Amino acid sequence: MREKKLTKRILAIVLSVITAVSLVGCGGGGSSKSADSKKQESDTGIDISKHEVVNMLVLGDKPTNGRLEAMLEQLNKALTEKANAELKLTYVEWADWQTQYNVQLLSGDDSLDIITTATDWLYAWENTQKGAFMPLSEEMLKTYAPKTYEQVNAKGNWDICKYDNEIYLIPEDYYTQYTNHGLFYRGDWAKEAGLPDGTVSKFDDLTTYFKYVKENKDDVIPWDVPGKNNTGGLLGGYIQSNTDYRVLIGCNVGNYEFWYTKAGDATVSSPYMEDDAIYRAAELMKEWNEIGVWREDVLNFDGDTREELYAGTSGADQHHSQTYYSQIKPNMDIKQPGSDAKMYSWGQENNNISKPLKTHGAAAISANSKHPERALMVYDLLRNDEECYRYINYGIEGTDYIITEDGKLAYPEGYDPSTDGLGANFWCGRNDDLELENSFIWSGTEDMIAGLNAIAYDYEYENLIIDKNAIEVEQSAIASVLSEYLPLLAYGKYDDPKEKIDEMRQKIKDAGYDNAKASLQKDLDTLK
Amino acid sequence: MGKKRTKIKLGGSSVALKLISYVVVILFTIICILPFILIVSASFSTEVIINKEGFGLLPKGPTLSAYSWVFRYPKMILGSYAVTITMTVCGTILGLFLIAMTGYALQRKDFRFRNLLSFFIYFTTLFSAGMAPTFIWVSRYLNLRGSYLAVFLQLLMSPWLIILMKNFAKSVPYEITESGKMDGAGDFRIFISLIFPMLKPALATVGLFLALGYWNEWYQSSLYLGSSVTYKPLQYYLYNIINTANALRGSVAGANVTFTDLPSNTLKMATAVVATGPIIFLYPFVQKYFISGITIGAVKG
Amino acid sequence: MKNSNTKQQYKTEIVKAPKKSLWKILKDNKTLLLMCLPAIIFFIVFNYCPLPGVYIAFTNYNFRDGIFGSPFVGFKNFEFLIKSGQLWNLTKNTVLYNLVFIILGNVLQVALAIMMNEIRSKWFKKVSQTIMFLPYFISAVLIGAITFNIFNYDTGVLNTIIREAGGNPIKIYSMAGLWPFIIIFCQMWQQTGYGSVVYFASICGIDSGIVEAAEVDGATNWQRIRYIILPSLKPTFVILLLFALGGIMRGNFGLFWNLVGNNSQLFATTDIIETAVYRMMMSQNNFATSSAVGLYQSIFGFVLVMISNWLVKRIDPNYALF
Repeated sequence: MREKKLTKRILAIVLSVITAVSLVGCGGGGSSKSADSKKQESDTGIDISKHEVVNMLVLGDKPTNGRLEAMLEQLNKALTEKANAELKLTYVEWADWQTQYNVQLLSGDDSLDIITTATDWLYAWENTQKGAFMPLSEEMLKTYAPKTYEQVNAKGNWDICKYDNEIYLIPEDYYTQYTNHGLFYRGDWAKEAGLPDGTVSKFDDLTTYFKYVKENKDDVIPWDVPGKNNTGGLLGGYIQSNTDYRVLIGCNVGNYEFWYTKAGDATVSSPYMEDDAIYRAAELMKEWNEIGVWREDVLNFDGDTREELYAGTSGADQHHSQTYYSQIKPNMDIKQPGSDAKMYSWGQENNNISKPLKTHGAAAISANSKHPERALMVYDLLRNDEECYRYINYGIEGTDYIITEDGKLAYPEGYDPSTDGLGANFWCGRNDDLELENSFIWSGTEDMIAGLNAIAYDYEYENLIIDKNAIEVEQSAIASVLSEYLPLLAYGKYDDPKEKIDEMRQKIKDAGYDNAKASLQKDLDTLK
Repeated sequence: MGKKRTKIKLGGSSVALKLISYVVVILFTIICILPFILIVSASFSTEVIINKEGFGLLPKGPTLSAYSWVFRYPKMILGSYAVTITMTVCGTILGLFLIAMTGYALQRKDFRFRNLLSFFIYFTTLFSAGMAPTFIWVSRYLNLRGSYLAVFLQLLMSPWLIILMKNFAKSVPYEITESGKMDGAGDFRIFISLIFPMLKPALATVGLFLALGYWNEWYQSSLYLGSSVTYKPLQYYLYNIINTANALRGSVAGANVTFTDLPSNTLKMATAVVATGPIIFLYPFVQKYFISGITIGAVKG
Repeated sequence: MKNSNTKQQYKTEIVKAPKKSLWKILKDNKTLLLMCLPAIIFFIVFNYCPLPGVYIAFTNYNFRDGIFGSPFVGFKNFEFLIKSGQLWNLTKNTVLYNLVFIILGNVLQVALAIMMNEIRSKWFKKVSQTIMFLPYFISAVLIGAITFNIFNYDTGVLNTIIREAGGNPIKIYSMAGLWPFIIIFCQMWQQTGYGSVVYFASICGIDSGIVEAAEVDGATNWQRIRYIILPSLKPTFVILLLFALGGIMRGNFGLFWNLVGNNSQLFATTDIIETAVYRMMMSQNNFATSSAVGLYQSIFGFVLVMISNWLVKRIDPNYALF
C-alpha cells in the first residue's frame, strides 16, 4: 500500500518535471523561413550573398489574427529578392510599455537591429547616451540607405540627429503628422452658446462654452476629464495660448512639462516660476471648478472621455490634431450627426504652435546589432520602395486594404479594424510620397494641416541633449513639489490659488530650481 | 472526572460563541461578496451608463460588449487558460513536494544546519538586487528570456512558503520520525512514507498558495515573455487588454492606431471575472484536506 | 507528557556525544542536507547570483559598460530621497501602515479562523470560505474602481444614500484624515480571507486527542479556545509576524496608487515610499535609483528583523525564525 502511494507520488513529480521541461519547447518566437539566396550582389554592388534576418523593434500589441504573418510572408519575398534579407518584428506591448521598452534595451538583446524610437516620447537621446544605439557614419548611410540619406540630407536634417558628432537616429522627417494638442468640442453647442460661427477662437471662449453646456444640457458633463491620468489639466494649454512660452522637449519633470523657453529667446525658464500667466490660469481653473466643468472627484476619476463624447455625455475631449482628423471628426459625424465637432488648438490665436518634430518618429540601429548594414538596406526599402512600403504599412492589397478609384485607401467588405488590424506599427520611416490617403479621415484634413503649417514655427532645439545626471536630484525634488500642487491647481481645488502658487514657487526654489536651470541653460547653449 | 461530564454544555457561553461566530462569518462573507457582485454586474453593463450613474447590483444597460472584447480572439484566451493551468498544476505539484521536503528537514532538531539554512533562505526576502540586475541575470546569463521556464522556475519556491511548511511540520510529533528511525528507515523514506501523509492541512494550505501564486502571476510574464510567446499566461494577457486601451488613449502614440467602441471600466470588470472564474473552484476541492486533527493512532498501533 | 520526556532523553544524548569532525557531521546529516538541496540551488541561482548586481545602486548605469563597468557615484542615487525632505514622513507612513497591516491583519485572521472552526455545518463552511477568498483575486485596480464608486461625491453609493436621507454629501476624496481607515479596511478586506487559511489549517492540525481530553475535563468553548487553540497558534503568529517585519519598509504600491493616485489632497496621510518615488522618478528611467530605493528599504527591514529575531530567541528559541 505504501509502495503504491510512493510510486504514485514519484510519478506525479516526474510527470510535472517532464511537462515543465516541455514548456520550454513551447516558448520562443516563430520560425524564420530561410529563402534561397538568389542574388549575390545588390543593384548597387553590395555583397548580399548571405541571407540575413533583420529584427525590428516596434511598439504595440502583437496581432493574433494571422494577418501579420501573411503580410510578412509576402514582404519577405520582396525583401529577399531585393536585398536577400527578411524582416522579423519584435513587439513591446502596451502593458507597462515605458518600463518594457527600456527593459528590452537593457537586456542587450543582440538579435535586435532596427529600433523604433522618438526624441519626445521614446527616450531617444537618453538611450543614445546610455549606449543603446550604434553610431551611423555618413558613409554607411550613403552606401546602405542611399535613398533615405538623400531624402533627409535634402532638408539638412542629419544635423539634429547627432550626438557627440555622430549620427545615431534616422528621422521620420518626411511624414506629416500634427500632434499639437487642443480641445475637441461640439460646434452645434458652441453655436447655441452664442459663440460667433459656433467656433471657439480664444481660450476664454471655452468658459462660455462650458457654462452653456452645464446649464442647458442635462446629464452632460462639460468636460468629463479623467483627472487620474491627466494631472496637469489645461494649465499648459492656457500658457501656450496666452503667452509666448515654448516647451522644451525632453526634460520633463516627473510627468509635467516644466521647462520652457520663449520665442526668439534661448533662455531657459519656467512659467510656473516666473510671470503672472500661471496665476491667471489657476484662477480660471478655479472658476471652471465652481461652474462644474468636471466632476467633483475629478482627480480620482478614470473614465473614457472619448467614448462619452461619442455618446453625448461629455461636451469635450482633449487630445491632438491627428486624433481629431483621423478619428474624432469622422466618428462624431457618424455617432452624433450634426454635432459639427471642432478642435481648438492651444496656441492657435497667438501662433504658438510648433511644427511636427522631425524626430517624433525615428529609427536607430541597436548597438549590438550583428548586421547593421543589411538592417539599413531593409530600412531603406521599407521607407522608399513602394511595394515594401505598402506591405508594411497597409498589408496585402485586396485582403487588408483596397485602393479606391481616386487613389485613396479603403477597406474591403466585412473588414473590422478592431479585429482585423495589421498592427505592424512601422512608425519610424513613413514617407509622404508613398502614403495613401485614408478615405475614412476627414475630408478637411488637408486644409487643416495647411492652416497649421501657415502659422507653426520650427522647433529649433530637436538636438538638445540633456545631461540628466547633473540635475537628477533637483528634477526629482521639483517633481515632488509639482505633484503636490499642480493637480489641485489644474482642477481649481484651492480656495486661494495665488497663495498656493507662491508657496509652490518657494518650495521649488528650495528644491534647486536655479541649479537645474543653469545646467539646462548650459546644455542649450551648446546648440548655438 | 467521569463520563458524566462529556455531555456538551449547552450553557450560555457555548451558544453565545456559536452565535457570534455565525454572525461575524456571515457579515464578513457579505462584505466579501458584495463588491464582487458589483464587479460582475458592471461587467455586463454599458460603459457610458456606468460612468454616469456608478455601479449597481444589477447590470445597467445589459450588454455583452465587454466580454466580446475579452474573447475577441477565442483561440488566444483558450491558449492562455491552457498555459496557465498547465503551469499552475505542474508548478504546484513540483513546488509542493520540494517545499514540503525542505520544510520538514529544516524543523528537525537533530539537523545541524537548520538554523544556517533557514537564515540562508530567509535572507533572500530581505535583500534583492532589484529589477534591473535580476533581469539581466535571468535573461542574459541564464538565457531564459522568452521561455516559460523563466516564470515557472521563479515561482516554484518562496521563503514564505518554506517557513510556513516548516512551522506546520513542527506540529507532527517527533515520535513518528523516531519510530521510523527505529524501523531502520532513512530520513527521506521517513519523510515520504510517514510524514507526508500527516501533513494534509499543511499541504493543502501551501498547495493552495502556490497555485494562486501561479494563477495570479503577470509581472514576471511581462518582463520575460512579453510578446515572444504565442500564448501568454492568463493574467498577463488580460492585463494587456486593459492597458492597450489606456496606453493608446493617453499617449502620443495613440493616434497611430484606430480602434472604436472600446469599453474601459467595464472591460476591467469583465477581465476580473474571466480571470477569477475557474480558480474559485479550486478552494472547495482543496477544502476536504482541512480535516480536523491528526490521529496518533498510527504511532501507537 | 510522553513527548517531552523522549525529547529530553534525546537531547541529553546529543550533548554527551563526542565532538565530531565537519565531514562526519555532513555525513550524518547527509539525507536531510540532500533534501534541502533543491531549495539551496534554487536560491543560489535566482537570488544570490544576481545579488552582486545591487552594486548598480551606486553607479551611473549605462548599457555599454554594464553594471560593473559603469562609473561609480557613491551615494548619489540616494540623494534625491534625502533632498526631497520627505524621507521621514514617507518612512513613517510606510512603517505605520505596514505595522497595522501586519498586526491587525494577523489578529483578524486568527479571529476569523477560530470562528470558522466553531462552525459545524460543513456546507456553510465550504461556501463561506470560498467566498471569503474572492477579495484576494480582486486586483488593486478594481479596488480603486469600486472605492471610487462608493465614495465619490457625484455618483457614489454613499453620497446617494445620504442625499436621499436628506443630508449633505461628503467630499470624501478631499478628506485626508479618513483615508488611513479606508486603506486599512481595503487591505484587511483583501487579505483576511486568504491569510486566515494558514491559521485554519493550523487549528485543523491540532492533536485531536488533546481537544478530546479537554472536553472530557469539562472545558467550555471559550476555555478551549483560550487554553488550547490560541497557544497552538502562537508559534505561527510569531513567525508570520517576524517574517513580515523584513518587509516593513515595502509598501503595497498597487493598493495605494489605485486608491489615491495623484490626488495630492490625500498625500499627507497616504503617501508611502513607493508612490512618492514613482512620481518623482517618472520619465527618468533610472534603473540605478530604483535599486537604490530598494536597498534602503532592505537595510531598514534587515536591521529590524535581526533585532526582533534575536529578542524572540532570547524568550523562546522555538519561536525564532532562524
